[in-house]
Amino acid sequence: MSWARTLGLALQTLRRNPLRSFLMMLGIAAGIASLIAMASVGEATRQETLRQFKRMVGNFDTITIQPGSARTRGMPSLTSVEPTLRFDDATAIRREVPNVRRVAQEQSAFDIDVQYRDRATAASIWGVSADWMDIRGDEVTVGRGISSEDEDALARVVVIGEDVRQALFPGEDPIGKTLRIAEVPFQVQGVLVSRGAGPGGSSLDNLLLMPVSTASKRLFSRDYLTGITVQLADPKDHDKAVAAIESLLRERHGIVPPVEDNFTVSNPRAAVAQVAEVSATLSSVLTGIAVIATLIGGIVIMSLMLIAVSERRREIGIRRALGATRSDVLRQFLAEAALIATLGGVMGVLLGVGGAAVAAVQQQLPPAFLWGAMVGAVLMAMLTGLLFGLQPAWRAANVDPIQALRS
Amino acid sequence: MIDIKQLGRTYQREDGSAVLALREVSFTVASGEFVTVRGASGSGKSSLLNIMGCLDTPTSGTYRLLGEDVSGYSDRQRSAIRAHRIGFVFQSFNLLPRTTAVENVEVPALYAGGEVSRAKALSLLERVGLAGRADHFVTELSGGEQQRVAIARSLMNDPPLLLADEPTGNLDSKAGDAVMELLAELNREGRTIVVVTHDERVAAFAARELLLRDGLLVSDRAQDPVVRPVSADDGTHHVVG
Repeated sequence: MSWARTLGLALQTLRRNPLRSFLMMLGIAAGIASLIAMASVGEATRQETLRQFKRMVGNFDTITIQPGSARTRGMPSLTSVEPTLRFDDATAIRREVPNVRRVAQEQSAFDIDVQYRDRATAASIWGVSADWMDIRGDEVTVGRGISSEDEDALARVVVIGEDVRQALFPGEDPIGKTLRIAEVPFQVQGVLVSRGAGPGGSSLDNLLLMPVSTASKRLFSRDYLTGITVQLADPKDHDKAVAAIESLLRERHGIVPPVEDNFTVSNPRAAVAQVAEVSATLSSVLTGIAVIATLIGGIVIMSLMLIAVSERRREIGIRRALGATRSDVLRQFLAEAALIATLGGVMGVLLGVGGAAVAAVQQQLPPAFLWGAMVGAVLMAMLTGLLFGLQPAWRAANVDPIQALRS
Repeated sequence: MIDIKQLGRTYQREDGSAVLALREVSFTVASGEFVTVRGASGSGKSSLLNIMGCLDTPTSGTYRLLGEDVSGYSDRQRSAIRAHRIGFVFQSFNLLPRTTAVENVEVPALYAGGEVSRAKALSLLERVGLAGRADHFVTELSGGEQQRVAIARSLMNDPPLLLADEPTGNLDSKAGDAVMELLAELNREGRTIVVVTHDERVAAFAARELLLRDGLLVSDRAQDPVVRPVSADDGTHHVVG
């Protein structure tokens, strides 16, 4: 009997036994649905994580240097870091390390009281050099950012984050207004584009930027940095640049290994790769669970098929008496299993896409349609059907027609 | 048509002892004959039917069907013989459930390798007087109608031999007679028919009766078949033979 005719026969059996067919499909559908949903949510999470990372660390062509050894990390603040990283370290890097495009200096302190008239809030203060915003990809919604003129003039100007704007200037245009930080007046000259929440969920908008020279001389009275951000001309030569910066700073700080470095050079790209790896691991674990669910769907098909075979012994006997070979019967049952599993797979893909869409809305993730995964899932369902249909089909093919017709 | 020589069939019981269902049975059936094989339960008639129907193989002796020795045929070869050369009619009709009359008639064509002709299936249903029932599911049909669907099915691949196993066993006598008359009519059209039965009334429709007892062929005699009207309003009488 031809495959087309076998498939037609299988389809007829399915149509005439809608409830049984539906139940058999359910197991596979559940497995495939979870597979698709998990893969989609995993992919959406990965994309979202990368996007957030990019928003936090700027473009991936940067290297950051912080004072202190790798073991004393944390969010660097003027009050907590060792005073080892100097302004002229930044200048030296700019001058001596090849492949450096721009260098930005920063002085940061957290939880500083900021006041405007009778309103107050606590925010982080970032003294930054003029290139800092460009390097990080930060922009202003209104007003202007920090310029090198501001830096040279030690101008008392700030660019505020969205949270600060909402806390101090609700329903008010902040540009040109004067706020106070530790009783020092600063004029607002711009508002930053919101960066939303970081991977930890905390806001990235609760900050004020000012020229690093102003911060150093007029506010904090400190001559060391909490960080240097280096932008490379060619990001591919990342590792070489990291090594050059490390040896330059060791030389400048008089450090000879095995003495520990009093600075840490980090590579956001490596951190991103690590995050991507973690999320890849997570999605492969989730996918693994879904594959197991699909296999359980296969086992459901197998056991229901085995029951069906014993219920349909007479039908098998009749077909055999009328001329069906063992292989005709085998193929009929295999086709039924594969067809049921494939239809279950299609049903599962639809459910999974729906589920992922719901999850995406709830978690505010971008929707991810993994066409490859969908096609793969349906194929996997079909293969599962064939695999788990084999044993019942084999049993059906070996029904003794004489016994079957006598019963 | 059928040439059976020294045919034996032994079954192995689970305890290892052997049961001789058929011993050295020999007979021939010529093309166009209408023969009954009669015997009580346990006489070996089912074993003989299974072998004649190529569902089973003999333990000894030979079975030639249309000149071909099929005794040693493989399962696949016997499937092909069943599809092309033998039409089966069973006591319990053995129609496929959840399937219409015409679809049942088509089933043998699925396994014969050629086209599945809906027109032919319909004409066979018409031939057995069920033209109006083609699209009915088998469960909607009476026993007599189901058996006539089964007879139409047995003719789907134009097999030279029809094998009927107690074809009237599940029918009342009126429906049973109608089925036997249909078989007699098909025989008159030239088909070779072998009916296996325990029932003398049924055996009386055939021109020849083989009697089995304890696996042995004890009698083989020609007889005048009963003469019956083909239908109640038909005044003429048909003599079979």
